[in-house]
Amino acid sequence: MNDVLVLAEHLNGELKDVTFEMLTHARVLADAGGAKVAAVLFGSGVGDLAEKLTAEADEVLVRDHDGFANYNSAVYQPVLADVIRGREPSVVMIGHTAFGVDLAPSLSVALDAPLATDLIDLAVEGTDLVATRQTHGGKVNERVGFGDAAVRLVTVRPAAFAPQAGSRGGSVIALDTDVPQEPAFRRFVEYVEAAAGDVDITKSDVVIAIGRGIKEEENLAMINEFAELLGGVVACSRPVVDAGWLPKDRQVGSSGKTVKPKLYVAIGVSGQFQHVAGMKSAETIVAINKDPKAPIFQAAHFGIVGDLMKVVPALTEKITELRA
Amino acid sequence: MKIVVCVKQVPDTAEADVKLGSDGRGIEMEGLPLQINESDNYALEESLLIKEDRDGEVTVITLGPESADEVLRMSMAKGADEAVRLADPALEGGDAWAVALALAKAIGGMEYDLVLTGCMASDDGMTQVGVTLAEMLGVPHATYVTEMEIGDGSVTVGRELEGGLVERVEMSLPAVVTIQTGINEPRYASIMGIAKAAKREIHTKSAADLCLDAGEAGEAGSRTKLLKLDYPPAGEGAEILDGTPSEASAKLANVLKEKGFA
Amino acid sequence: MPRVAARGPQAFNTRTGGHMPTLAEKYELLACIQCGRCTAGCPVSLRTPLNVRKLVYEGQIGPGPAGAHERPQAWSCTTCSTCTERCPKGVKPMELLIGLRGKSIERGKALPAVRDALESTFKHGNPWGRSRDKRAEWADELDVPIAGEGEAIPLLYYVGCTPAYDPRVQDVARALVRLLEAAGVTYSTFGTAESCCGNEVKRMGEEGLFELLVEGNRELFAGHDVGSIVTGSPHCMNTFLKEYGEPVGEVVHYSQLLARLLDEGRLEFKGSVEKKVTYHDPCFLGKHNSIFDEPRSVLERIPGVEFEELDRSRERALCCEGGGGRMWVEAEEERGERLADTRVKDAVDLGADVLVTACPFCLLTLEDAVKTSGCEGKIEILDIAELAALAL
Repeated sequence: MNDVLVLAEHLNGELKDVTFEMLTHARVLADAGGAKVAAVLFGSGVGDLAEKLTAEADEVLVRDHDGFANYNSAVYQPVLADVIRGREPSVVMIGHTAFGVDLAPSLSVALDAPLATDLIDLAVEGTDLVATRQTHGGKVNERVGFGDAAVRLVTVRPAAFAPQAGSRGGSVIALDTDVPQEPAFRRFVEYVEAAAGDVDITKSDVVIAIGRGIKEEENLAMINEFAELLGGVVACSRPVVDAGWLPKDRQVGSSGKTVKPKLYVAIGVSGQFQHVAGMKSAETIVAINKDPKAPIFQAAHFGIVGDLMKVVPALTEKITELRA
Repeated sequence: MKIVVCVKQVPDTAEADVKLGSDGRGIEMEGLPLQINESDNYALEESLLIKEDRDGEVTVITLGPESADEVLRMSMAKGADEAVRLADPALEGGDAWAVALALAKAIGGMEYDLVLTGCMASDDGMTQVGVTLAEMLGVPHATYVTEMEIGDGSVTVGRELEGGLVERVEMSLPAVVTIQTGINEPRYASIMGIAKAAKREIHTKSAADLCLDAGEAGEAGSRTKLLKLDYPPAGEGAEILDGTPSEASAKLANVLKEKGFA
Repeated sequence: MPRVAARGPQAFNTRTGGHMPTLAEKYELLACIQCGRCTAGCPVSLRTPLNVRKLVYEGQIGPGPAGAHERPQAWSCTTCSTCTERCPKGVKPMELLIGLRGKSIERGKALPAVRDALESTFKHGNPWGRSRDKRAEWADELDVPIAGEGEAIPLLYYVGCTPAYDPRVQDVARALVRLLEAAGVTYSTFGTAESCCGNEVKRMGEEGLFELLVEGNRELFAGHDVGSIVTGSPHCMNTFLKEYGEPVGEVVHYSQLLARLLDEGRLEFKGSVEKKVTYHDPCFLGKHNSIFDEPRSVLERIPGVEFEELDRSRERALCCEGGGGRMWVEAEEERGERLADTRVKDAVDLGADVLVTACPFCLLTLEDAVKTSGCEGKIEILDIAELAALAL
């Protein structure tokens, strides 16, 4: 087996968690196949980040260039393609993030290499690598092979692997690959921070989150009452924001906020990984959902299978009784 | 402005017990209602809003069996002008690469300024076809788009990144944009409108029409190989508090009390 | 004198070369004498900008609005039918309002909640966004007969979407099953094969979907040689009786069946309910179908019940605002007290322990109103089947 290449993702001078998660799993794969782990880092003024990665990989390939000051797949893609052509790794791991999803498929076409996205596992089986990914909202696991490809591209679901600190003591290798000018056909304009709302859900010890199962905007009143009882704030998953029932700053998940409260109660939330990514570190997680197969029960510590319209009023009543 | 919208018909499995087929390579479709993929529906709406805002023409395209005509008719009822179905069993069963290649062959032969599609299919969750298609067409792309403004020969989009951050990108046209849910409020297609659309022609294209030979289409043309479907292993999961809503709630209230929340 | 719009009430459809009926023609608005009895009787005119007379007037003097999207107040109508009932000239203002909604639906301009309810009905056969295979879950712990393929059904219990899916109203369906069992009634249901009746769909203006439901249901009924039907909601009964064209069989509301079972001595109350009870007439049972006496006769025969009428009862009963698609639509620019709140307060003032009704929508809106009007703990809302089952 050749190298396992991991593309490091970073923003505002910080490496993303998914980078460390991928590197952890890359070491497992490389050790099994007698291969090396190489981290690839593109950016502008990223010397510190390269140092941080030396413990995680056998080699840290760095291209430090002004052209990487902001992410643009049209700039990243040809440079990364060049690096891959030069090293012929067996696997290239990219985070299944807004960044990775924008980049990996175009890389796959440029290299004519197979791509499997949103992996929750990747294992050596015989001479091939087999990827595991989820379909149908997490109700099915799909195993995917890569045929006889020499280079395999994958995007890896954030939080699929638990990160462990490495002790590789890898060397930093500065690359001198050409970095193209930002093309006229796709130009980075700016980053826009989400507007701050009246409630900061990341600051509360108790978060009551609602999802698609809430069905009607009117049912929010019942949830507000329940949240008030527990001294918590009301947050939600994506469909509630799409419906316009709560503002974007109440959304928990990969494209919303990450919360780590003492208590997280997920009501009518199915538990898609994008949501779970934003709340999995809560101390105590309670799920109320009428679908016993909902993935949220995998993330929760305590669960009630039932109709939220019955459970929430009953729970409100029981807690009120306990306090009386 | 000529807009092509790529749509997919998917089963609604939100509340369903998904059962695997006996060959382990598909799910049992019996009893599952079919619908337009959620983010594709937002992409379609976005195309119609552009069409209404400036003169435009919307073509919807799908790859799938005859049942997928339902999604095309619904799209025409909402205001799409033309509909194309890549209709050939040989094209089915492919991975994102094979699907994107068939779409690229079909769209490459059309006049277009903008290609819109949903950012992810709710069934296979691949998040891959739109960008692959753009690269095959040789045009720029942007993914996870939650805001869009058409300029003069260009489009400026807002991409939704992690943590609520939005990245603004400007692209020249033609371009491929993958749309995230919530960008607009999709309209309703009345049954009467769908019935009227049923009288309109749906253009069909076979693998041969797209100049794809057997090795390039469907499963044979796929770069990844589907090996097997399984049910996710039951993890440790939550401790389920059972009983009637009242009994289960009493148990939970006690747990919360022990932990100091009640 | 009002300025007559250039296009006038007679419009010519240039696209087809044919004549498209104007609003005035379609709803015979020219007969209107602008007396205002419609608006004066309209229960929501005090609470919303809906002015029925004015909308009729707009249709009289010109082409009128292109749809409810131009006059969102048309979504405030509960289709209680008071306006149509009160019109001295036979004009049908309620039909005009539904027609305006229909024009919006045709243009794709349905309100999001209406859109979701309609799409769900098309996809799953119910407006609540729930999957078809959960439709019989309410009866999981009961022994409710489900007709097999092609099996004849002399008496069909048509459950309806809200009793089948809403956790509160499921209790009503279960209570009714206990009553039917106690009376030894032989009946059957369609289980998960049952689909929405279409009453609300029609009132949301989605005529095409309504026709599709009618066709499907007629086929289903015919395939089982259905004799008579007892419905779990006055809304279902209303549409089966009046809007399905050819009769689909004898259709009764469960309060009528209960009254009949009591008359025949098949249903007997062994227990009693020592409560002061009053009754809220559902619009689709009362005003629309003149069923006033049977529910009262059931209540009066429950041992222990002390029955007293609300001031506004029978034909004058106040609407709860849950009909005509309003379960899915918030009224435009609401002001003042919700009618359901007024209703609950009236019942409390009467000193009633229980406010009884006989409709899933009334039950839900009134129960909600107990909370919003601050009457919690002062009164209980029950369905007539639930109260009767308490006395078994």
